[in-house]
Amino acid sequence: MSQTIQTSSICEFMNRHLVDVFETMLSMKATAVAGAGVPNLEERVTGCVAFAGEHINGAVYLHLGAPFATQVAAAMLGLEPADLGEAEVNDVVGEATNMLTGGLKSWLCDSGAECAVSTPAIIRGSAFVIEPVPDVEREWLVFQCDQNRIVVEIHVKVG
Amino acid sequence: MATKILSVDDSRTIRLIVGKAFRPYDVTILEASNGEEGLGVAAREKPDLIILDVTMPVMDGVTMLGKLKEDPALKAIPVIMLTAESGRENVLQIARLGVRDYLVKPFKEEQLIEKAGRCVTLEKRPVAAPA
Repeated sequence: MSQTIQTSSICEFMNRHLVDVFETMLSMKATAVAGAGVPNLEERVTGCVAFAGEHINGAVYLHLGAPFATQVAAAMLGLEPADLGEAEVNDVVGEATNMLTGGLKSWLCDSGAECAVSTPAIIRGSAFVIEPVPDVEREWLVFQCDQNRIVVEIHVKVG
Repeated sequence: MATKILSVDDSRTIRLIVGKAFRPYDVTILEASNGEEGLGVAAREKPDLIILDVTMPVMDGVTMLGKLKEDPALKAIPVIMLTAESGRENVLQIARLGVRDYLVKPFKEEQLIEKAGRCVTLEKRPVAAPA
């Protein structure tokens, strides 16, 4: 690996990349909220894509409140929220998480940390917490998009 | 006759976005969810353009592209690759495969239309006259 990847660099990249994904695919303006700490997560739709390589592995979780997830799906597909079922919303949240992690993978590969990504998985509900395993760092990134919160949870183990 | 565009992607979301992008145009959208299905649809329908995802289950886009290029009846169909990975190596690999163009996700619909318009003729659908 040509350089050591810092978790802070991953967060800086993801802060820019999420804003780009929401602007490009949804024409939605998301703004990073500095120092937001651990967010209070309500009923939500969570997309998960893992990445794994010789020098780095982890996962990206995209948490969206359930009503906002439907709004995002409607914007991406050009449909009315009332016309969408859970399957369509899940697919869109999974695809958005895939784009986020695909961008991260490209950035990691260009930084010398080759890795592969998994297919997306979806978790729905409110009474769940994703705990990192030992030696894995967890970072929370919080964004504001109109009245809605977007939360990205990154689990990463370097080396 | 309407232009036929085949969208090959395991994500239904992406196939719907591709369909939405071409809605204003006189285009018939064909769909397949992996490379194997895509080859079948391509052989049957002879599309004018294929928009092909890279990473898919069953048969990925790179394998499907290789098989298209080996088939005398299909090798001239222009292909635009869609990829979620913009890394240097990935882009170079795609360029070597003989694709007409590529697009990195996330992408704007206008970018897709612009790139498709360089490969096929896109005509606006006639506006229906008021009743």
